Amino acid sequence: MAKKKSPILKIFILFVIIEVILVIVSNGFNKQLQIGFDDGKIIFRNIQSHYDLQERITEEFQIDEHYRQTGETPEIYRSNKIYEFFKSVFGKASAIGTFQLLRMLLIVDILLLFLAFLIKKKLLKRPSQPQILFELTYSTLEQFVIETIGKDKVNFTPYIVTLFLFIWVSNMIGMIPIPGFMEPTRNLNVPLGLGIFAVAIVHITAFKVKGAWGHLQNYLNPIKNPLFLLDIIGEISKVVSISFRLFGNILGGAIIILVISSLVSYVVFPVGLTLFFGIFVGTIQAFVFTMLALTYIGVEISE
Amino acid sequence: MELTLAQGIVKAAALLGAGMCMGMGALGPGVGEGFVAGKACEGIARSPENASLITRTMLVGQAVSESTGIYSLVIALLLIFST
Repeated sequence: MAKKKSPILKIFILFVIIEVILVIVSNGFNKQLQIGFDDGKIIFRNIQSHYDLQERITEEFQIDEHYRQTGETPEIYRSNKIYEFFKSVFGKASAIGTFQLLRMLLIVDILLLFLAFLIKKKLLKRPSQPQILFELTYSTLEQFVIETIGKDKVNFTPYIVTLFLFIWVSNMIGMIPIPGFMEPTRNLNVPLGLGIFAVAIVHITAFKVKGAWGHLQNYLNPIKNPLFLLDIIGEISKVVSISFRLFGNILGGAIIILVISSLVSYVVFPVGLTLFFGIFVGTIQAFVFTMLALTYIGVEISE
Repeated sequence: MELTLAQGIVKAAALLGAGMCMGMGALGPGVGEGFVAGKACEGIARSPENASLITRTMLVGQAVSESTGIYSLVIALLLIFST
């Protein structure tokens, strides 16, 4: 049976090939390997590994702490005007982390804007394949919005789609094996900002729908709502839960990939792990963040 | 780096606490997510035409019930890396 390969499978295979090539080129084999005969077995191993695992994790996830322990700023940051500016604003304790985070956020934003302009430049009546992909994303999420908060509130769709695409691209971009690339969502500040923004939008919508006093008396009037203190705490815990979920998933996945790939000394590429923790968990968490933001809006509006 | 005895005890207790935190914190989400997945299987078997809706709801519910495990992961990481 000659079955045509689906385009998703083609993209998948292309992605795996590109990833393997990039891993080999960028950081897979740049450590020198030698063959050892120590235990009677032929093994590949690193000639010199000047980092142990703890230092490697510290360098990857707390880069300012790492450079404070080693006591010197790396060469590329020393004559960098932008780094000097961050150092004067944020202090020496978090300058490199802020620099890397803002650089990755800028890359994600530029990527999204570039894609948007690229798609918008040739919109066709009979759509091309990338246009179908984006229209499919938009219409699927629009259907979710209509199902959750009703047909008259369909103008929330651009916010929801933007949230989904931003978090998804942020989770995906850490898979590109260029040194210094990381997921922006790995830093707690980004999910916390997104979560505060989502809950703020929930309350602004509730103000618009129910009026100022109609909404505020849920939190301030002890006669109408005797458990108003619990509701106030509940609003704070919404922000904490929605942002820590995204942050913990991405950070945990990144640490697991790092630890296991250092167990095999970067010889066996962690492609399979990246496929699970990068693509699967990243997509699910982006979807869940979006759906929860939508559900919070729906709960506030419907009552 | 050199550790004094008191610092060593604190470090050892933090590592032990991180292990116990992860182990106990993984119990609840495991049971909960398995329960949700089993119920979703029953629902799909009963009405296969609603499979996409059930799967979507199942994923959101699993992610919500997973969050306690994620909290324990964050606490374990804090214990390991910040003491």
